[in-house]
Amino acid sequence: MLGLIKGLNVTLKNMVKPKVTYNYPQEPLEMPDRFRGIQYFDPDKCIVCNQCVRVCPTDCISLTGKKNPDPNQKGKVIETYNINFEICILCDLCTEVCPTEAVVMTNNFELSTYSRDELFKNSEWLFANDENIRSENTLNPIPVKKPTGGTPS
Amino acid sequence: MIRTEEMLLNVGPQHPSTHGVLRLLVKVDGERIVETEPVIGYLHRGTEKLAEDLTYTQIIPYTDRMDYLSAMTNNYAVVHATEKLMGLEIPERAEFLRVIVMELNRVASHLVWMGTYLLDIGAMSPFLYAFRDREQILDLFNELCGARLTYNYMRVGGVKWDAPKDWIGKVDHFVSYMQKQMKEYHQLVTGNEIFIQRTKGIGVYDQETAINFALSGANLRVTGLNWDLRKDAPYSIYEQFTFDVPVGEVGDLYQKYLCRMKEIDESLKIVAQAVANFPSEGKIMGKVPRVLRVPEGEVYVGIESPRGELGCHIVSKGKDKPWRIKFRRPSFYNLQILPTLLKDENLSNLVAILGGIDIVLGEVDG
Ligand code: SF4
Ligand code: SF4
Repeated sequence: MLGLIKGLNVTLKNMVKPKVTYNYPQEPLEMPDRFRGIQYFDPDKCIVCNQCVRVCPTDCISLTGKKNPDPNQKGKVIETYNINFEICILCDLCTEVCPTEAVVMTNNFELSTYSRDELFKNSEWLFANDENIRSENTLNPIPVKKPTGGTPS
Repeated sequence: MIRTEEMLLNVGPQHPSTHGVLRLLVKVDGERIVETEPVIGYLHRGTEKLAEDLTYTQIIPYTDRMDYLSAMTNNYAVVHATEKLMGLEIPERAEFLRVIVMELNRVASHLVWMGTYLLDIGAMSPFLYAFRDREQILDLFNELCGARLTYNYMRVGGVKWDAPKDWIGKVDHFVSYMQKQMKEYHQLVTGNEIFIQRTKGIGVYDQETAINFALSGANLRVTGLNWDLRKDAPYSIYEQFTFDVPVGEVGDLYQKYLCRMKEIDESLKIVAQAVANFPSEGKIMGKVPRVLRVPEGEVYVGIESPRGELGCHIVSKGKDKPWRIKFRRPSFYNLQILPTLLKDENLSNLVAILGGIDIVLGEVDG
């Protein structure tokens, strides 16, 4: 019996302690800066280097580029950029390799939808996802290359 | 005349006490278990096969999903094996960060075990307490690497992120908080008569059986064998820290509980030492080429995960992808003893014995 009573003592003591739960859907849940949420994508920064596509372990990024419409500029510009959030595991590798920080993580994590098709996000959607962008990004920050010097591959 | 018949009872795969998707085919004679057959594979994703088509960095997030309760140790197993094969030097600061997160992860993992184990055998509140404290560790990890379970924190050659400002202080604070909390757990659970009755003298096996079944971790140490890879085959910088390896004597469920609780204490000790000696500066990544090409060869490393010996065996043919990678997943090995332990047991002990093994189905199925 003694052990039970001792245990109950703990329970009683905790009864008067403040709550530790969050009132989540009613109140927004703040995530720390490094949190890996849905990506933000800036088409102007992208140099179509394909590194994010190659590093993605689940092959969920697809992109196409086109020749720079400005004849004085070399390289390519992005045409379409899609991330399939059905299979993206938010592992952070794409943002780690992106040399221009065109694709970066945000702190937004609310992705649930009623249909799987809606999880296929295009570059407009990703560009509009511009809140709570993470401030710290790449692993070994590489000097940002000018979009003109891009290496098409 | 009364005629009795054996009955086939199907436990799982959707059963809260099988901790995932394990199915048990149990043959019972009344309340007595005659035979048990675990059916596994419901969570099999073929990690090892997938890894053959992934670069070494890409494998790391996949390992997060094997033992999802201690993803840090999984991360470490694969990067450590790769580093060994490449002969890389790891900066000291990175090693400290690795040890801190691995030990915190062990604490978090044992807390989940304790909470859910007690929930299995009918105690609700310890579960809530354990998850409350585990949440603090997850918050620390979230701040460090941006995820609560699937950390993807380690990299071949170091770690992805340095500790944020004040993080080490927070860890220190957590260690003293947790040390205080441990007293509360002992008060709440350890002396509880119902708990003792459900676990003392139940699920006993001896050292020889444990070794024959290749058990590892607390499942092995509970029989009295002092075998901890952090001491017996030291990796990383564990040699720098003083800690004990808790062992049991009789090998019953109660002692398994005590072993794991003491392991939390020891892990906290290690974290406290690591925090106290944390290098004030230094790099977090060693010199690593941008494209990892691992020289031809073969390597096996074993590390002490919360569940036992987690091994990683890599065969490389000099490419940027492994030719073959094999994980020795401790949960899978530890589960093998279940049919033996359950034979002739009372049905009511089934979840107690199964829970005592501490399996994670993501790891069993791989
Ligand atoms: S976060 Fe990972 S899985 Fe998702 S798009 Fe980036 S690399 Fe691919
Ligand atoms: S890595 Fe960055 S710059 Fe290169 S294609 Fe991807 S988003 Fe564009």
